[in-house]
Amino acid sequence: MVSKLVKRSTHEAENPHEVTLRESFLSLEPQLRPPFPLTIPTQEQYLNLNRAILYGILCEPHLAKVHIKHLHGIITDGYGYFTSILVRIVNEMYGKLIDSVKRQLVWVTHEMIYVSAIGLDGLLVALLRQIVGGDFGEENLWWCYEMVNLFSSKWDCLLEDAPLILTGALYVFLRLLADHCRVLNVPKIESLRQMEKDFCVRMLREKLFLCLRIGRDLVRLLQDLVQVPEFRAIWKDLLYDPNSFGTEEFMDISQLYNTRTSKWYFLLRINPEMESQLRFLLTHVKFGGQKRYQVWFAKKYLSAPERNGVVVDIVRFLCCAHHPSNDIIHSNIIQRWAVIGWLLKCNLKNYVEANSKLALFYDWLFFNEKVDNVMNIEPGILLMVYSIPKYADITNSLLEFLLILLDNYDLERKEILLRGISTAFHTLLSKGVIQSLDVLTRCDMLSPNLKERLERLLSECSAIKGSLRIPTSHVMSCA
Amino acid sequence: MEPETTFLPLKNIVPAAQNNINAKFILVDKGIAGLEGQYKTCMALAADETAAVHFQLWGDECDAFEAGDILVLTNGIFSTNRNNMVLRAGKRGKVEKVGEFCLAFVETPNLSEIRWGPDPNDPKKFVQLFVVSPLSRIFPPLS
Repeated sequence: MVSKLVKRSTHEAENPHEVTLRESFLSLEPQLRPPFPLTIPTQEQYLNLNRAILYGILCEPHLAKVHIKHLHGIITDGYGYFTSILVRIVNEMYGKLIDSVKRQLVWVTHEMIYVSAIGLDGLLVALLRQIVGGDFGEENLWWCYEMVNLFSSKWDCLLEDAPLILTGALYVFLRLLADHCRVLNVPKIESLRQMEKDFCVRMLREKLFLCLRIGRDLVRLLQDLVQVPEFRAIWKDLLYDPNSFGTEEFMDISQLYNTRTSKWYFLLRINPEMESQLRFLLTHVKFGGQKRYQVWFAKKYLSAPERNGVVVDIVRFLCCAHHPSNDIIHSNIIQRWAVIGWLLKCNLKNYVEANSKLALFYDWLFFNEKVDNVMNIEPGILLMVYSIPKYADITNSLLEFLLILLDNYDLERKEILLRGISTAFHTLLSKGVIQSLDVLTRCDMLSPNLKERLERLLSECSAIKGSLRIPTSHVMSCA
Repeated sequence: MEPETTFLPLKNIVPAAQNNINAKFILVDKGIAGLEGQYKTCMALAADETAAVHFQLWGDECDAFEAGDILVLTNGIFSTNRNNMVLRAGKRGKVEKVGEFCLAFVETPNLSEIRWGPDPNDPKKFVQLFVVSPLSRIFPPLS
């Protein structure tokens, strides 16, 4: 059967969700034209009708207005079911959808905003996740344009109905701008860039109190844009003129440092397919059996050099949004530190490698045991420790990077960073993530200079939070 | 909707002149296509949680699938083709892509790297005689 929703080759099985939608449509087709039946449908009939109308909206653009009127007339659940089946299409099939269906997706989403549909949040998140970072092809840039246009044009509605999702959109477009502002010679990107900038600047200047909800990763994203004049100005004001934003609660950038960024933000730059592959890898693949999977993953997502930037988002996702269970941690399934180690060796551009290391250590800088989760900082220490001795160059480079961060990330608030890193080390020891820091301090494969600086750091940490030499009968060997 | 098929674990496939093998597996690796007569053909390594086997792709199947694809084989056949015991869709079977990546698999035993012979009790059936190689010699594991 030739699909009306997706471009499908003869050797691909049909998506079961598509089959269900189509069957509903075919069974109810005569009832989808006026005059519409006035009988009250049963629950099963109601769901069937929702599916049929959705299929009609997506596949019959010329009749979309008839279908949506019908939908508005029969809704009894605030569009909750309708948005859920729409989300499923986006999550499972977006990449293969026919162009006209994608356009209908945008159209029906505008309609869902008009009616303040239940489940709108989930729908908008699903759509944002389908913008591919580092893809400058026409189709992806078109989708990016439709998304920024949606959020800009529906600003007032969204402020009222889904203000938190507006902050999600800010996260996405700040992140995309970092790539869009670095690229040269891409036609048509200038107007897209301007729309993205306008949206982000408006959010930051007019709704800073909302943007603060993002937390510390807002700082990380803004810093990557500091070369862009509009954002340099915002950055300066955030640091030196916080009152200019008209938000009473905002007094100092350290407030952002102390706010942990919620997990859902990190899903925004990973699409559902990539997410399930990464989660599968970390749940079902044994240590030693990961090579084939890594080859497939790299071929699909990392082969084009301009696409490598996604590694930064993957590292942040792994640290903050994927916390394996204790069973998995104690099993022989491959661990997050090993996956991150592999990604860091993936032939990354310098700034991508640096941003990835920043992503790895970001929560270290501001770690607060009351607010932060040790699982966010575990991959960093384990990668440093387990790289010894075979990949000691990784240990050296990561430790060096952490020390450089401490000294340079925020010259005026170094005491915050020192406190954060001290708490990080203390928590890693007290929770038993590592038994002792001797594995680093006594390691022959660390450069003498680095060892000296580490010792100095650890004594500064001990001064703040008490001794880091927690006596234990198990001393981890340097292996 | 068709009823759910039960899949035969790859470790249980046995050579036969019948096309009755329904299985779900992942394409671990794919070779370079060549010609057999007028048909394009390509060898691949297929595997599930129980075993691996060489899967022979024919015609436009060669370009339709890539390593990492999860496939469902319906009415496939496991028989010799040019001295190799291979699994394939055959004339009456079909193979379709149902997903990617998310399937656990093993590369040993490899049912194509086993010497099969007639069952002494029933010459029409095949049994495993001995293991030629625990792993595929065409697609050795990545080091």
